[in-house]
Amino acid sequence: MSRIMDAELRNLSTIIYKMGDLAYQAVSMAIYESLYGRDSYDRIKEISDTLILLADQVEDKIFEIIIRFQPVASDLRIVKSYMKISYDITRLGRYALDISYINKRFGGLGGSEEWIRTYIADMSEKALSMVKMVMEILRSQKIEVIKSVSEMEEEIDKLYINFLNKIIDETNIKSRVVVSSVLVIRYFERIADHVAYMCESIIYMLTGRKEFLR
Amino acid sequence: MSGSSYYRLRRIKDVIVRFMVYLALLIALIPLFSVIFEVARRGIIAINLDFFVKPTPTVGEVGGGIANAIQGTFITIGLTCLIGVPIGVISGIFLSEYSESRFSTIIRFFNEVLNGIPSIVIGIFSYALIVLAVGFSVIAASFALSIIMIPIVTRTTEEALKLVPATIREAAIALGMPRWKTVVYIVLRSAKKTVATGILLAIARITGESAPILVTMGYWRWWFAGLNRPVANLALNIFLFANSPFENWVVLAWGSALILIMMVLGINIVVRILMRERY
Amino acid sequence: MSTYKIEVEKLNAWFGSKQVLKNIDMKVKDRAVTAIMGPSGCGKTTFIRCLNRMHELTPGARVSGRVLLDGINIYDDGIDPVQIRRKVGMIFQKPNPFPMLSIYDNVALGPKLNGVKDRKTLDLIVRRSLELAGLWDEVKNDLDKSGVSLSGGQQQRLCIARALAVEPEVLLMDEPTSALDPMSAAKIEALIRKLAENYTVIIVTHNIQQAARVSDYVAFFYLGELIEYGPTKDVFEKPRSELTERYITGKFG
Ligand SMILES: Nc1ncnc2c1ncn2[C@@H]1O[C@H](COP(=O)(O)OP(=O)(O)OP(=O)(O)O)[C@@H](O)[C@H]1O
Ligand SMILES: [Mg+2]
Repeated sequence: MSRIMDAELRNLSTIIYKMGDLAYQAVSMAIYESLYGRDSYDRIKEISDTLILLADQVEDKIFEIIIRFQPVASDLRIVKSYMKISYDITRLGRYALDISYINKRFGGLGGSEEWIRTYIADMSEKALSMVKMVMEILRSQKIEVIKSVSEMEEEIDKLYINFLNKIIDETNIKSRVVVSSVLVIRYFERIADHVAYMCESIIYMLTGRKEFLR
Repeated sequence: MSGSSYYRLRRIKDVIVRFMVYLALLIALIPLFSVIFEVARRGIIAINLDFFVKPTPTVGEVGGGIANAIQGTFITIGLTCLIGVPIGVISGIFLSEYSESRFSTIIRFFNEVLNGIPSIVIGIFSYALIVLAVGFSVIAASFALSIIMIPIVTRTTEEALKLVPATIREAAIALGMPRWKTVVYIVLRSAKKTVATGILLAIARITGESAPILVTMGYWRWWFAGLNRPVANLALNIFLFANSPFENWVVLAWGSALILIMMVLGINIVVRILMRERY
Repeated sequence: MSTYKIEVEKLNAWFGSKQVLKNIDMKVKDRAVTAIMGPSGCGKTTFIRCLNRMHELTPGARVSGRVLLDGINIYDDGIDPVQIRRKVGMIFQKPNPFPMLSIYDNVALGPKLNGVKDRKTLDLIVRRSLELAGLWDEVKNDLDKSGVSLSGGQQQRLCIARALAVEPEVLLMDEPTSALDPMSAAKIEALIRKLAENYTVIIVTHNIQQAARVSDYVAFFYLGELIEYGPTKDVFEKPRSELTERYITGKFG
């Protein structure tokens, strides 16, 4: 038996999935830019703005669902989680844009030391695959996978601290490279954080448990 | 075109059926009105002051009235009600409120049977039971009449109480009222008009009974002289006077008939008013 | 933490040979609103009618188990059901004021039959009960009018006043607003919240949102069993049982 609310909830999911795809695009563009120096600032800006717009739409739709259906139990948890997840996704877009801004401002990391480029490539790939994974978990509802996502998040935290420790000891790196690499790495760490928040929302949505993955 | 002719046909059918219904109604009403008319026409002659204040005339006496019969009828009915109403109402309450008991099935069955027994049989029963012990008397007559009355009152009371919505009963019980208080203060009170209606209909019925009166009380042309003696009675008056050779007695019979009809009619009108006022 | 007003232990109820309540264990908090939800025919009405010993009035109906009211089993031998019903009042789905009585007498009848004779005391009880039920201002000039001359919502509040007049400790309400318009229902809901300050209220409702609005605890019944029972917020956020989940989200059947 299908309820009227089910159609509305499906519409919501569709928007959220689309937001996930856009955020994934934005983050991958930001990575490419950082490593190979192609300028995609305008495109990323466009995506980030779209995400904010879509998040607004999600919020509106959720209010409509609350007004119309007074959701309870799993419905209520879906609605609350979608609200948070849509915000988290806009943050992903926003950090991609921040990365892009740094690249634009400081010319990217194309000419930087080899180890820095590998480090960033490794860490950003991890962050990007986390984005992909969380959206897949959302679609498939396979919360078992969340464990590996949260492990990756811990790894990224370590990589971040590790990178700071390393770069502080380097004396002959240009300050332009130091500043931009630290900021970019910091933003990827934040991206991973928001993915972790999304995982928490998914757990709450599906089980009602309030877990902290950090 | 064909639509309008179809419509016309329907109209004609309608008129015919309606005409037949009115005709049937008229035929049914003719006897009723002719009885009332005839009784009124002949009875009205009898009616004067003497008619209401004087007792039955002695043989050869001119004039006279039916005052003693009116008195007797009221006394008999009064005593009948005294016996019949409490028993009837209480049985009705029992049947309606305690209908789960097996006892009530039995009572209901006997009540139905009692209702179907011809009144003359009841009269003879009373004769055997009371007349042989006490003699022809108001008691014997009232006993017979109350046996006629009880099943009627029982049934109407039972039905009246059953009409009281269960929700009202439950409301009372939920307030912590004992069952008997619920029955008396709530159920009976809600149904009191319907119960009264039943009692009145039973009275109307026994007012016209003459056969059981004949065998329990017989003929009495004087005033009331005690419950263990007979008393005059309107219905019986008609029966006896109409057969008498005296002309003024025959007139009195018609007068009695008129009064009797008026009484029954009056009771029915009161019943109507009560029914209309219900809720 | 407040104590339990009613403790139901292993309660079973039958209509003839049909068992409609199965092994219900439930502790009802004092001075709180407990809502009973469940699909039609699951035994909600039967359950609350077991709490004031009304169930046994139906021919062929039977009860086993214990219902402790303040620690005393109301089904013990020697307990007078009439006394229990004075302590545990009941409000019905359809407002049912006594049609032949005035507004005043509807409220006064209970205390009167319980032996209150003094007119002044009766006046006071009537006024206080009507005030508590939030009806006094609307009817104070029409106390002689018939109870059925009021609107449905007013009639229901009159019934609440009538129940309050016998000074119960527990109020059972069987879908008390289902026959009322939203405004009247809202008034009754507000009244229920207010009553919970001094009474233990148990309300049967088909309206899930109403249960969410008025209750502190909710119980979910299904096919005569108590499936879930807990604080309202918990049950409406994360029911423990899949059945409850499906019922309150409307995915039943
Ligand atoms: N008087 C009765 N005699 C026999 N069976 C009954 C009687 N009253 C109720 N039942 C049965 O008992 C079961 C429980 O009834 P109950 O009235 O307690 O349900 P409910 O949960 O209150 O339903 P609803 O939501 O429709 O009011 C139902 O299956 C019903 O058919
Ligand atoms: Mg019910």
